[in-house]
Amino acid sequence: MDNAPDFSSLVDVENCTVSPIAFSSEAVYQAELEKIFSRSWLYLGHTSQIAKANDYLTTFMGAEPVIIVRQSSGEIKAFLNSCRHRGMRLCRRDHGNKKLFSCPYHGWTYDEKGDLKGVPQLDTAYHNELDRSAWGLIPVSRVETFEGMIFGNFDMDAVSLVEYLGDMAWYLELVLKRSKAGMEAFPGCHRWRLGGNWKLPAEQFGGDNYHTGALHRSMSEIGLGPKGDYRGDNPWVRDFEVKCINGHGWINFDVGEDEVPPEQARFFAQLREEAKETLTPKQADLVLCAQVGTVFPNMSIISFFGFTSIRVWHPLSAKEMLVHSYGLVEKNAPQSVRELTRKAMGLTFSPSGIFEQDDGVAWGDIARFQGGPIRSKHPFNYQMGKGHGKRMEDKPGLIGTCSTEIGVFGLYEKWQELMSQ
Amino acid sequence: MARVDESMSSELRLELEEVLIHEYWLLDNNRLEQWLALICEDVRYWAPVRENLTLDEECLEQTDLLTHFDEDKVTLGLRVARLRTGSAHAEEPPSRTRHFVSNVKVLEAVSSLEVVVDSNFSVFRSRPGLEEHWFVGGRTDYWLKEKNQWFLKNRFIKFDHDVIENITVFV
Repeated sequence: MDNAPDFSSLVDVENCTVSPIAFSSEAVYQAELEKIFSRSWLYLGHTSQIAKANDYLTTFMGAEPVIIVRQSSGEIKAFLNSCRHRGMRLCRRDHGNKKLFSCPYHGWTYDEKGDLKGVPQLDTAYHNELDRSAWGLIPVSRVETFEGMIFGNFDMDAVSLVEYLGDMAWYLELVLKRSKAGMEAFPGCHRWRLGGNWKLPAEQFGGDNYHTGALHRSMSEIGLGPKGDYRGDNPWVRDFEVKCINGHGWINFDVGEDEVPPEQARFFAQLREEAKETLTPKQADLVLCAQVGTVFPNMSIISFFGFTSIRVWHPLSAKEMLVHSYGLVEKNAPQSVRELTRKAMGLTFSPSGIFEQDDGVAWGDIARFQGGPIRSKHPFNYQMGKGHGKRMEDKPGLIGTCSTEIGVFGLYEKWQELMSQ
Repeated sequence: MARVDESMSSELRLELEEVLIHEYWLLDNNRLEQWLALICEDVRYWAPVRENLTLDEECLEQTDLLTHFDEDKVTLGLRVARLRTGSAHAEEPPSRTRHFVSNVKVLEAVSSLEVVVDSNFSVFRSRPGLEEHWFVGGRTDYWLKEKNQWFLKNRFIKFDHDVIENITVFV
């Protein structure tokens, strides 16, 4: 039923179409784990979440559970959260501080470097014949950071994180580097299960402003969010979408003067001043627009209404995902602003978010009713704006207006490249 | 606040149980505006995220912990208004919901007009597209009685889920 399709035929690069099979096939999903998630830079967490020596955080890279550990030296390492003996997760807590990681099942114990230090009954049961040096934790080959964001890659030969981000780095800085103090993560994580293929939210955050007018119409109707179809008053300049390299994409949308409480407005004014020093003038001009982006494959960022959420669309199968969403806020934000920020994120983009509720229903509905042989023969259309992107002096990447699908389709061009290898 | 004596507790428990059942009857019967009318203007309706930590380590009341809900009357009103637009797609057509409340326990009372009450909830939701979900947890409420009517002043919600579903319901 689910014969392995020819992966190279699922994306038609000339016509800008993608086969529904890319979103419904378990064979495709299994191949993605190998070809995409085992060799791309994947988001692991924020440096502020493991600020002190021996702090750790648990998360996933594709289907693999991982632990990120701050070393005594200050460096960050990551390992599979899986004991080498039988594969039980060593850490079943979300985060904490530990010098040694001991498996609950039989007690094999590893240090912060992942070296196997303790094996119960090493003498009487293993007769001292176990070579502990060969049974350390499976490392994440590469761990690198960019402006507080920690990424890991299982591919030792991957290009550096900065090279991988390429022109996307310029856009990420609009949020992450707009203050002098830098950002830190709120405690806690929104974790929820969503029907849908992980690529659907990744593509949406990476360049689908088009959906907002229809899917989120209720928001305009109650006076939150722009009227009409979100095309923006200032195309190319303040309202635009970007196709970056390696499948990354960005949406910049000017939501106009902030209808926010006075203390938040004051803080925004402060950030705009700080950005003049921390960013280039062209970047500083765009600070505090609504900004949404995807770092290929499955990390997205949304900065809107004063809050910033970094979310990871962890795939669980072709048709289901686990979402982790972390909130970021400037370290120097006053407490009243932190509170407004946290509340805005819960109200709009969270499991109960009045924007996000509707997104979840769209992705789930697509997933549940895909896979029939008839629909599978008819591809999805990604032709919007094809050939109308342009290079501009003032900002990097290939720029389109709101809306275009050049950024969205860029994700599938990269996907196709990796899936064909 | 003082502990309630046993006879007062029993009467209050019955009285509050009726209030909680009425509240869920309103929610199950799509009388959202009437439900809002039970809520104080300065309500705090909040649900911090849960973490997989030991009981000692998990601190739900810590400042800044992310929240599924941290609403006042204005934002609860926005949520209801959105459901009334006809274009809130997550609830179009609306879910069938069934709200259950149990284990009602009066924790504290200043008087017969000011009560802290715990209860357990479970909410079933069925919606188009083969989706059926449960939301389960507990609540600590603070209810005030004015002019012979109870009003919700504070609701602290503990969802019991590690990984939750898209929350379109009030609990």
